[in-house]
Amino acid sequence: MPVWLREHSWRQTASAVYLSLPVRGLRVTPGSIFCTDRYLKVSIPPFLFEAVLYAPIDDTNSTAKIGNGTIFFTLYKKEAAMWDSLTLANANKEKLQCVRENAVLKAHEKAKEEAEAKKVTKQEHKKYALEATMKLEEAERKRIEDLKEKERQKVTKELELWKKQQEDAAKQKRVQKEGELHQEVEQLKERKKEKMNKTRVPNEGTSKTRLKATKGHGSYSMFSENLKEEQLPAPRSAATIKINFTSRVFPTALRESRVAEEEEWLRKQAEARRTVSADLSELEDLKEEEKNPEWLKDKGNKMFATGNYLAAVNAYNLAVQLNNKLPLLYLNRAACHLKLRNLHKAIEDSSKALELLTPPVPDNKNARIKAYVRRGTAFCQLELYTEGLQDYEAALKIDPKNKTIEKDAEKIRHLIQGTTEDS
Amino acid sequence: LFLKKIEKAKPLKCGTFGATSLQQRYFATGDFGGNLNIWNLEAPEIPVYSVKGHKEIINSIDGVGGLGIGEGAPEIVTGSRDGTVKVWDPRQKDTPVANMEPVQGESKRDCWTVAFGNAYNQEERVVCAGYDNGDIKLFDLKTMSLRWETNIKNGVCSVEFDRKDVNMNKLVATSLEGKFHVFDMRTQHPTKGFASVSEKAQKSTIWQVRHLPQNRDIFMTSGGAGSLHLWKYEYPAQRSKKDSEGAEMGVAGSVSLLQNVTLSTQPISSLDWSPDKKGLCVCGAFDQTVRVLIVTKLNKV
Repeated sequence: MPVWLREHSWRQTASAVYLSLPVRGLRVTPGSIFCTDRYLKVSIPPFLFEAVLYAPIDDTNSTAKIGNGTIFFTLYKKEAAMWDSLTLANANKEKLQCVRENAVLKAHEKAKEEAEAKKVTKQEHKKYALEATMKLEEAERKRIEDLKEKERQKVTKELELWKKQQEDAAKQKRVQKEGELHQEVEQLKERKKEKMNKTRVPNEGTSKTRLKATKGHGSYSMFSENLKEEQLPAPRSAATIKINFTSRVFPTALRESRVAEEEEWLRKQAEARRTVSADLSELEDLKEEEKNPEWLKDKGNKMFATGNYLAAVNAYNLAVQLNNKLPLLYLNRAACHLKLRNLHKAIEDSSKALELLTPPVPDNKNARIKAYVRRGTAFCQLELYTEGLQDYEAALKIDPKNKTIEKDAEKIRHLIQGTTEDS
Repeated sequence: LFLKKIEKAKPLKCGTFGATSLQQRYFATGDFGGNLNIWNLEAPEIPVYSVKGHKEIINSIDGVGGLGIGEGAPEIVTGSRDGTVKVWDPRQKDTPVANMEPVQGESKRDCWTVAFGNAYNQEERVVCAGYDNGDIKLFDLKTMSLRWETNIKNGVCSVEFDRKDVNMNKLVATSLEGKFHVFDMRTQHPTKGFASVSEKAQKSTIWQVRHLPQNRDIFMTSGGAGSLHLWKYEYPAQRSKKDSEGAEMGVAGSVSLLQNVTLSTQPISSLDWSPDKKGLCVCGAFDQTVRVLIVTKLNKV
């Protein structure tokens, strides 16, 4: 239940009503005052004051001053007339209710309208700001363009001026030179006359031809040219400087590269390392490291180095069982067989190695040379010298600079020639 | 202003006015067939000098001793795809005065560019040659020997000394993959050679470098993406210092980009400055246009 504030005092003039409402000790905020054109309400819970006004007022212009424990209202009348009382008499509850609702509605509408008006003005302000910034930027751009244009014009002017200068200078020079030429011709004529009296006949001849050769454009330069030639040093004595080039390993110049083949070789190598032969049943009792072909290859190499060729062969055999795509295994086994004089086996292994060493790329050059050499040696030891020579020559083709291969090839050639002579 | 059109049987690759006097103005050209010809442009039917200098296309040509610049005999150097660099004297027919060729049995590499330098008196001359495997070789013509060589990994498209007619000062070498190196040529270390600074400028090949005739520390590079870059070289505080054994070693300075512009989508393969007007330059590109440009404010650099 609200507590009604009844003590209020008011006075009026023709155009305004002054209402003062004491609100001792209460905190009044602008939100607690609600006013429409017919209805005034002050609500500071639990206190309440309301008045249904006698006549409509101009609520937009009316003011309320809050201070000194009172609220002082200045309400401007819509119609200038004297009111009988501040509020309407015989205000029954329903009417009051109606009026209240109307007032609230009106206030709402007003608020809405105000909000919209605000929005519109805000938009307009934004637009204005945007246009202003655009103008500024435009001005800046124009300024820069103008500067550039000015610079351009200045430079073209300078260029024109310079061109003109060149032309003028050229013209002047031509005139000058013609004058000089005239002079020189006359000088020469005088000199000729002098020389006639002396015995220098050949010189005369040449000076005559010089005169005859004068025609058109470059003639005046002849004199200065001939003089200058005597000052120039003689042409250099010819010599040759030999040069070497730094070799290019991978990557090579694109047109020389064997990219496709090198890729293939790399792929093959990768595959070879991955393959593991299927038959693992016998190998189950081997230790883990013994199943690694690489490890076995190393073991084989070590045993070869110490001279234990049979053991090396065993190691390589096991490795081949595990992975029959590694060319190096066959290559090394071939070397072992050579030492053990199992020549046919050596040939077999070298051939298998060579098969696996395709495509031929710089990477597997060394391996291929070794394979050819070993096979060649095996052939020779079997006295199949022609086949042996073939292999040695193949090795030589890959590496022409290897002296040992060359020497051996020579030896074989001699042997062949020796045997053919015999038979 | 189109003045004249002269057509010859074989396509021409390169040309220079460098070895001719200002009055004669003979134009020396190298063509696709390996012939070196010197033409009098007023009477272009028959060349003034002609020789089949190389077995394959002459990639690059340079001349020295003419145009009133420098001293000594006029000479022309040509670099060819057959891997040789030959120096010719227009007064000597048929045989070159110097021939830099690979040793017997060595696989040859294309020579892509040549340049003269160090021609400060009548005897001294050097020729610098760049090859497609990244080799740069410096030949001394007075002693007829190889003075220095190095390898910059990518094929060398263009070399130029900053001035042909002074004691060699700087050498710029440009290469594939947008790199160029500036070598300080005043101090040669017995093992390390010349000091250098390198820049990676454009993503594409740098086709040519040319120094401004009026200021030898400014040079322009032209690129495969149709762009021109203008650079300035700054010298270090001390151009040479002593290394641990007391031998003199050069110190390279720094290079800064002044300006760049993209003119075309095609490579700009050739570029030259005017010797008279500062900043006037001409360039030719693969899009079949010749462009004349002017660079301003070079006084203020």
